[in-house]
Amino acid sequence: MTQLDIIVRNEHHRLLLSVSGPINSYTFTDFQEKVYKAIAQMDTAVDMEHVTALSSAGIGVIMTAMEDAETTGHGFAIVNPSEIVRLAIESTGFGDRFPVVKTLKQA
Amino acid sequence: MAEGTVLLEAKTSSILDFERFVDGVDFLEPGERDRLKVAGGEILDNIVKHASPLYLRRIRARAARRGSTLMLGFYFRAPSFASFACGEPLSGAAEPLFDPAFRRWRGIGLVMCRNLARKVVFRPGEMMDRIFLEF
Repeated sequence: MTQLDIIVRNEHHRLLLSVSGPINSYTFTDFQEKVYKAIAQMDTAVDMEHVTALSSAGIGVIMTAMEDAETTGHGFAIVNPSEIVRLAIESTGFGDRFPVVKTLKQA
Repeated sequence: MAEGTVLLEAKTSSILDFERFVDGVDFLEPGERDRLKVAGGEILDNIVKHASPLYLRRIRARAARRGSTLMLGFYFRAPSFASFACGEPLSGAAEPLFDPAFRRWRGIGLVMCRNLARKVVFRPGEMMDRIFLEF
């Protein structure tokens, strides 16, 4: 899969972004735009089960979104990340700071 | 020794070709595939962004297994990259920094590479520059 697809829907007073495909230096701007917009509005969860690659550009977006969430007081969570997303997060050396949950209920 | 190679253009969209290449290398285990994709993608991104103009605008990537060692090499020719890489600690310690002007984190990619690979080596040369990752 070479295309990044992001479906945004409102679920129980929270925005859920379901992301499929690779988040890399070529595709990350769409991810960035949608995540920043969502976190400015309300609690946000990003389902990353079907993400096939995650580069530092995507990691950077997540880190900035975490800071935006603190600033705005909105919740932010990464839901059910794929193996490659887990690996990319762990490879930063501070993976324990990322708000990763297994299911949307835990977000 | 098992190996696979791909020729990539020096442009951002080549990351997609690189990911397809890694997906198609038949001697990789799933965990190894993810490692190569993440770490290799970061190196390729750095070459495309910081090595222009590239000779012939091409980068060759080669994945190989020799015994228990998995290698990923990038081969290109770019006089400007050596001076860039001199200021970048490919194997030393560096902290990512937040760039408020662009709302972007800088330096995360190389940290990720260092944590994913056993070794990251840059070897500039008169005929060819090379970056090797050993897993």
